[in-house]
Amino acid sequence: MALIDLVVEKIIKIPLESKDKPDVLRELVQKLKNAEEINDVDSALKAVQDREDKQSTGLTDGIAVPHAKTDAVSRLKLAIGIAPEGIDFDSLDKQPAKLIFLLLAPPGMSGPHVEALAEIAKLAQSKSLCKALCSAANAQEVVQLLKGE
Amino acid sequence: MVYIDGTEESITAAQYAICLASFSGAELIAHYVINTRAMDDLLKARIFLQDEQLEYEHDMEADAERYLNYVNELAVAKGVAITKKLSSGNVNKEISDSVKEMQIDLLVIGELSRIRSRRDEFYDESERAMRLVSCSVLIVKDPDRVWEMYESLA
Repeated sequence: MALIDLVVEKIIKIPLESKDKPDVLRELVQKLKNAEEINDVDSALKAVQDREDKQSTGLTDGIAVPHAKTDAVSRLKLAIGIAPEGIDFDSLDKQPAKLIFLLLAPPGMSGPHVEALAEIAKLAQSKSLCKALCSAANAQEVVQLLKGE
Repeated sequence: MVYIDGTEESITAAQYAICLASFSGAELIAHYVINTRAMDDLLKARIFLQDEQLEYEHDMEADAERYLNYVNELAVAKGVAITKKLSSGNVNKEISDSVKEMQIDLLVIGELSRIRSRRDEFYDESERAMRLVSCSVLIVKDPDRVWEMYESLA
């Protein structure tokens, strides 16, 4: 299961409605629930929040990659949120996060989990792509950009 | 040699490889590579904390043992001998090097992504290995049919 296989319109929230980090995490987990990708919102959310409590996954240049291992999923699950105005994510460079990739993985699938995160890390290095994603008008455009169409 | 990475696709590939080995009498090797290069990238990108990296490294070692043992059980159940190989580093390089060193005739891998992104950032280790290795490569599809074939082995 490659990361690109997870990129579908139903897991993309654009624009994010939430105005702070805890609400964004909940909104993205709820997006996965609405897309019928997960059942247990509370367990998934707790796993992500527990990881964020150790240190924010807000990186630099408006990117955040909240992630966690959780029994709430049986396969890798990805949600993408875009907040053109930016959200305070306690990021490394103190800049607001605009592009948020939330990744959930079940215990026992550490290899695919690590490889998916590494792909996101590579994506985050492409400033032109990240800028285009933040300017996308809708989920369809996000999918097209990520597929390079 | 069949490449195992913890995905359902790679387990299907293992079932197919066991069938092939049973039919042909070929020697079968199951290879799992712990992707330490990806973990290093995540630490550099500051997506991983130091203790998180250690935790995942431990998880990956445990997963590797578990998946290799599972594939071994699948083979033993059908009377096929299998050699387990565990290494770590850059996945496609490890596979390619093993193919050369062990003089592998055929690499069996699971189904690749059906979606082909034109973006270089998306990459699939199996796909890279497929392009890099010097031997022939068999890509296994249709898990239901493969399972039936595996189950029908005496």
